[in-house]
Amino acid sequence: MGQIVARDNKPLAAAAAEAPQQYLTFTLNAEIFAIGILHIKEIIEYGSLTEIPMMPAFIRGVINLRGAVVPVIDLSARFGGRQTEIARRTCIVIVELVQTVEDGELRQDIGIMVDSVNEVLEIPATDVEPPPAFGSRIRTDFIRAMGKVEGRFVIILDLDRVLSVEEMAQLGATADASAPATDNAG
Amino acid sequence: MDEITTVFVTESREQLAAMEAALLELENSPGDSDTLNAIFRSAHTIKGGAGVVECDFIVAFTHVVENALDKLRNGEIAVDGDLVAVLLACSDHINALLDVLESGMPAPAADLQADGNALLDRLQRGWLSGEGKQSDDSTPPATSDGTVESSGGGVVETDCWHISLRFGQDVLRQGMDPLSFLRYLTSLGTIVRLETLADAMPAADDMDPEACYLGFEIHFASSADKAAIERVFDFVRDECTLHILPPRSRLADYVALIKALPEDPMRLGEILVRVGALTQAELDVGLAAQQATEAAATEETAAPPLGEILVEQQVVQPELVEAAVVKQKQVGEKKAAEARLIRIQADKLDALIDLVGELVIAGAGVNLLAARSGLAELTEATSVMSRLVESIRDSALQLRMVQIGETFNRFNRVVRDVSKELGKDIELVVSGAETELDKSVVEKIGDPLMHLVRNAIDHGIEPAEARAAAGKPERGRLSLNACHDSGSIVIEVADDGGGLNREKIARKAMERGLVPAGHTLSDQEVYNLIFEPGFSTADKVSNLSGRGVGMDVVKRNIQSLRGRVEVDSQPGEGTRFTIRLPLTLAIIDGFLVGAGSAGYVVPLDMVVECLELPPQAGDSHYLNLRGEVLPFIRLRDLFEIRGEQPVRENVVVVKAAGQKAGIVVDELLGEFQTVIKPLGHLFRNLRGIGGSTILGSGEVALILDVQALIHLAAHRDEPNAILNRS
Repeated sequence: MGQIVARDNKPLAAAAAEAPQQYLTFTLNAEIFAIGILHIKEIIEYGSLTEIPMMPAFIRGVINLRGAVVPVIDLSARFGGRQTEIARRTCIVIVELVQTVEDGELRQDIGIMVDSVNEVLEIPATDVEPPPAFGSRIRTDFIRAMGKVEGRFVIILDLDRVLSVEEMAQLGATADASAPATDNAG
Repeated sequence: MDEITTVFVTESREQLAAMEAALLELENSPGDSDTLNAIFRSAHTIKGGAGVVECDFIVAFTHVVENALDKLRNGEIAVDGDLVAVLLACSDHINALLDVLESGMPAPAADLQADGNALLDRLQRGWLSGEGKQSDDSTPPATSDGTVESSGGGVVETDCWHISLRFGQDVLRQGMDPLSFLRYLTSLGTIVRLETLADAMPAADDMDPEACYLGFEIHFASSADKAAIERVFDFVRDECTLHILPPRSRLADYVALIKALPEDPMRLGEILVRVGALTQAELDVGLAAQQATEAAATEETAAPPLGEILVEQQVVQPELVEAAVVKQKQVGEKKAAEARLIRIQADKLDALIDLVGELVIAGAGVNLLAARSGLAELTEATSVMSRLVESIRDSALQLRMVQIGETFNRFNRVVRDVSKELGKDIELVVSGAETELDKSVVEKIGDPLMHLVRNAIDHGIEPAEARAAAGKPERGRLSLNACHDSGSIVIEVADDGGGLNREKIARKAMERGLVPAGHTLSDQEVYNLIFEPGFSTADKVSNLSGRGVGMDVVKRNIQSLRGRVEVDSQPGEGTRFTIRLPLTLAIIDGFLVGAGSAGYVVPLDMVVECLELPPQAGDSHYLNLRGEVLPFIRLRDLFEIRGEQPVRENVVVVKAAGQKAGIVVDELLGEFQTVIKPLGHLFRNLRGIGGSTILGSGEVALILDVQALIHLAAHRDEPNAILNRS
């Protein structure tokens, strides 16, 4: 895990100079995204999920992963779209993240819901471009880089940003506070 | 450190804790003989144990303390605050000595030793002296006796050790020179006088020139301890008879020595007088007393024979002799206690608990399948099995759980000491002492709690005059409370003092640049500033604490336990620190209910009763419960659960914080023991849900935080009020 952290913390330029990295590509609303495979613990079929009430739509709920309770994030909703519809190929990708939150370092497994997973591929550093300043459908800070694959661009996600526990918890609190039936958001 | 010593240190710490608690109790109810006995027993056990592990400095110190306790027990001296204070200090000192032993040092450092001497001196002068035979000088612990009333006469006034040495005949043949031992002995001290005994020498014809017939009586001045002196003779240990009497041994011991040696008693006595160990008068008294004791042979319980044996075998120092009988009993008791205690590695326990957790989930799965199969016999068999599995889980989880009461009780002492030092009158109210939490958490929570308690005493609670002026009772009140709050343990440290000074904190924060000027903060935000590193509003910093100093450490410590600390304060009414710690291992008895497709668990101890929702309840938010108005909340509404509302709904009547309320759910699914799994950081702002648990089916069920739910429901209709509050 230390290795992963070290790699993630490196500036993009340094990372780009390194050997080609492997990425998992997946489809979400007919668009292809990629994430570095070093984050990924496992991929499971969408199964019984327990919804958590009073949470923003992008937090789908929690699942039981061999005795551990793991939150599941609906990426589509997180990107501001509608909730993912469950289909035959819907998967949950379990990623492990180490994040700095107010209480210090936090290691957490998070599941992300995707329409389908495609493949693991290598993208040479030369084919990795910095993210566009605007023009993409998702928040630019969610994009780590753009990877060129067979003439198409895939969005390489910055999972630390996308799945920022701190930010999501804050959003949860705001959603909570805006609802009439709540208290003590502060 | 060997195993026996480790056990001794651990047990002695426990004894000390018990002793301290009893001493504090004694202060409140002086003269309670049970308490006195308990204190005495603790001290005695420690001394006995120290004898077993041959830790002389603890034996010596504890011995004097025990004497004082003995007098106390016998009513010769009365309990007062000063004595309790000294005894408490003594118990601290013993603890410090245990540290020394634990660290493997042969003797306490000079300053610690000096502290000990000072304490003993206080004990001697204040309470022990003036009791007849005792010497009133303060004797250093290593050689301290002088207070024991012996069976065979008074104390022999000499500062020197007495060593009786008889070399075996084979010593020379084995290539050892008796003189070299004596020479080596001088490296430990000085031989004041030495008498050579040639009594064993046979007539010239029978004498074997290669045999050693010599014996020595040595008067030896040294600051070394007995073990060190004994070590001098280690090489010839098997080949010689060695008797060592510490300085100020009792006359009886000398008498015992005389009797133990092969030479004629009168002749030996003369030699002892000659080497200066005894005076003639002492010898006479001793021998006379000895004869008297022998005459009254019937009543000799702790009389010479026993002493002789112990001295001879060098099991204990002679001071211990008179306590020997009691001690033997104690050792026996301790052995029994050891047998009941098994110390095992925490990892092994964790592995077991993990396995049991899996077993429970697997077992629940089997149950479910059995119930579906409809085979009565299978169902019966699995239900028996699941009951057993549950018992196993309970026992496994209990292994790691300890009550927090022990930790809380430590603060009795802190509150007493600190409040005395500050001249405040403060009572400590402890509640929820039986709340259990994981041992590792208990160990780590002590320091942060200590900080909060000290802070509360020093800065939270005002001096008596200020309290009186504010119309509050002069006696300050500090409360420690613990309770389980689904998924967490909550520990509260609350005082009824002046509260935090909001303005001052805000001002300091601005000065220090923690908050941009002109920025408005909520009360909560302001109060939380005290957890910033180095933040203090105290005008003067006392030696105890400066409110704010170290609060960042408290916060960090608690965070390292994955917990949180919050502070709430009402000006003039007090401050309350709430520490919330996750309790991953906690089990609660839960009541499983269903709403929509999901299962929810209500902590069973909050459930009062269950009933069917009367159809006439309609859309109102209250119902008539046997004439009582019972407000209720619909879980479906509150959690915005989609799906068809069932025809029949049920109400779970819960009670939290003295308030009764109903929770309307679809189904009642029954009692269920659950292992609480915290939901994690992502859901930390979620109110109304305290945690989660995994059902037999593998699904995750949410544990309701009833108190928060009621709160949510109560304030649902008045959102503005809440906004103003928070």
